[in-house]
Amino acid sequence: MSEAPLRILLAKLGLDGHDRGLKVVAVYLRDAGMDVVYLGIHCTAERIVRAAIEEDVDLIGVSSLGGTHRAHGEELIAALREQGLGELPVVIGGTIPVEDIADLERCGFRGVMRPGSSREEIVDLVRNEAEAGHRRMLRA
Amino acid sequence: MSRASGDDFERAYRAAAIAAETWSGLPCREVYRPEDAVARDYARDLADPGEFPYTRGIHPNMYRGRLWTKREVCGFGSGRDTNERMRYQLAQGVSGLSVINDNNGSLGIDADHPLGLHDAGVQGVSVSSLADMEELFAAIPIEKLSIAFDLSGLDAIAWMALYNALAERRGIDKAALRGTVQNDTLHFQFCGYGDSCPVDLGLRTSVDIIEYCTQHMPLWHTGNVNLYDFRETGIDAAQEIAFGLACAKEYTKRAISRGLAVDAFAPRRSFYCSAHIDLFEEVAKLRAARRMWARIMREEFGARDPRSLQFRFGVHTAGASLQAPQPLNNIVRVAYEALAAVLAGAQSIHCCSYDEPIGLPTEVSQTLALRTQQILASETGVTRVADPLGGSWYVESLTDALETRALEIMKEITEHGGMAEAIRSGWVQAEIDRALLQREDEIAAGKKTIVGVNAYRQPQEEATPGGLHVVPPGQGERLAAAVKNLRAQRDGRAVARALANLREAALAGPHHNLLPALVQAATTYATIGEMLGTVRSALGYPYDPLGVLQPASERAA
Repeated sequence: MSEAPLRILLAKLGLDGHDRGLKVVAVYLRDAGMDVVYLGIHCTAERIVRAAIEEDVDLIGVSSLGGTHRAHGEELIAALREQGLGELPVVIGGTIPVEDIADLERCGFRGVMRPGSSREEIVDLVRNEAEAGHRRMLRA
Repeated sequence: MSRASGDDFERAYRAAAIAAETWSGLPCREVYRPEDAVARDYARDLADPGEFPYTRGIHPNMYRGRLWTKREVCGFGSGRDTNERMRYQLAQGVSGLSVINDNNGSLGIDADHPLGLHDAGVQGVSVSSLADMEELFAAIPIEKLSIAFDLSGLDAIAWMALYNALAERRGIDKAALRGTVQNDTLHFQFCGYGDSCPVDLGLRTSVDIIEYCTQHMPLWHTGNVNLYDFRETGIDAAQEIAFGLACAKEYTKRAISRGLAVDAFAPRRSFYCSAHIDLFEEVAKLRAARRMWARIMREEFGARDPRSLQFRFGVHTAGASLQAPQPLNNIVRVAYEALAAVLAGAQSIHCCSYDEPIGLPTEVSQTLALRTQQILASETGVTRVADPLGGSWYVESLTDALETRALEIMKEITEHGGMAEAIRSGWVQAEIDRALLQREDEIAAGKKTIVGVNAYRQPQEEATPGGLHVVPPGQGERLAAAVKNLRAQRDGRAVARALANLREAALAGPHHNLLPALVQAATTYATIGEMLGTVRSALGYPYDPLGVLQPASERAA
């Protein structure tokens, strides 16, 4: 790829403070040649949407280890759609039971990563979904 | 279905131990001999259990005197929900209670905070005021039980105020209250809530608790320095004890400068450690920590009371060692880690639930965690003899190596101006980040084998074995409504007076103890958000750590 590097926004949803995983993901993506905009802990849906617009990112990755991935996740997807960013790919990672994966995907998440995911799996998911997002937006 | 090939079988048959070093990277020989243990002066470096420097344990007869306290951290939903679970735990044979609050509580905001709706009552119990505390301990005889509060930010001092107010309500002398508050505001900077608990204010409230309890609550443990959370960030075993002991030294120094005699408060200090997956290294780590703390207290602080010199610790098995793939494997990991804790002479244990990397624990998974402790205590026989690994050339050598490494790190911390300064300057965070990435690289490179993750993988399971804890729909709304209702019903003028008084206490100088004014405010049903907001704004910090709410006085204006 000769174009500009992919720009990825990373944020933690809600009040959960477990940020170890998200920091590791940030380094994985940076090492894979992507630009990471790291918002860190305590992000509201509004803040993430605003940053996504201002930073013109290609994908949003959010993390939740507090059992609130569904409530906060649905809010984020709704806020993005409200701002006309429904095509912007969003992926989520964290302590997420398998039972919730299908619901999160139905809600609009393009990928769900659980603990134990490898560097390759995470980098591939982010790259593939960001590029698929580009293609969707070109078609639109 | 994949079919096993002859090559796979050959590989499995020939597999050898690949780890020439411990989880933390300490090199190991194939076999140990008497000359490998450096600490060979028995009386000076080891001594019998119950003797200085307590390397072998703090009691001469260890578990023959009393088994460790079996606690399982508990907290979800409302005070009533957690009360029910705690009473269930008591019926199942726990020997101590341990309560954790939700994210709102950790940040010191109430259940009705506009940004706290989804988090209220999820990761822990929702407690905003004395009303919730009354529900939490309904029908539990607090004068008879030992209770641990797993709180380390400004919420620690707020809960101490609520608990004292509750005891007053019940006519219980606070001198009779037994338990522990974690109260480690320094380590709290690394738990994802740091902004809500500025370092200097946190040190003040930490010492307030030490001072208040030393004067009024002689049976209460004033702090449980939290090495566990440090370890969970990804650091190694030597860093865990170095960072933890460096924090403990800060509190000791500051309590002494508050005017307390070291032997007046140090006997009621304790520690909360990790038991990670490398069994012998973990035992050695805890033995090394005991020896180091005894020497620090005697040589650096002049403590004389044996109880001041003893490193008393609870253990939390390592949540970070648990894996989401093949979750039942975690039962085995937890059992080995709890075994390490017992072989090291722990005073209390919390075993993780196997579903921890997947979600919040269920009644089933939590009961299994308790049963893991009970099997260890009553069936395996490992409790029979004090310090059963003492004298093992390998374990003694590892103990020495961990002590040497940890002392080097502590020296570095001293050179950075002590732990508080090393935290402020960002040095500690940089060390943590470096260690975390190194660990992840080791796993990615296959240098550390993790079953189900980088070896012996299986397709993702279709359902979580044992089921899931489900947060009831509408919980956040209900918890918020209860707090709003309380605000409408209580005596608003009494609350305002108590908060004004608290503000004055906060402004009365950094050595003025905030607890008496907090207890008074708690009695009026002032909320945690109001009390801590008052203290924060009096001292020039934002009233609301999330920057949304304004103090009531300014809202009215």
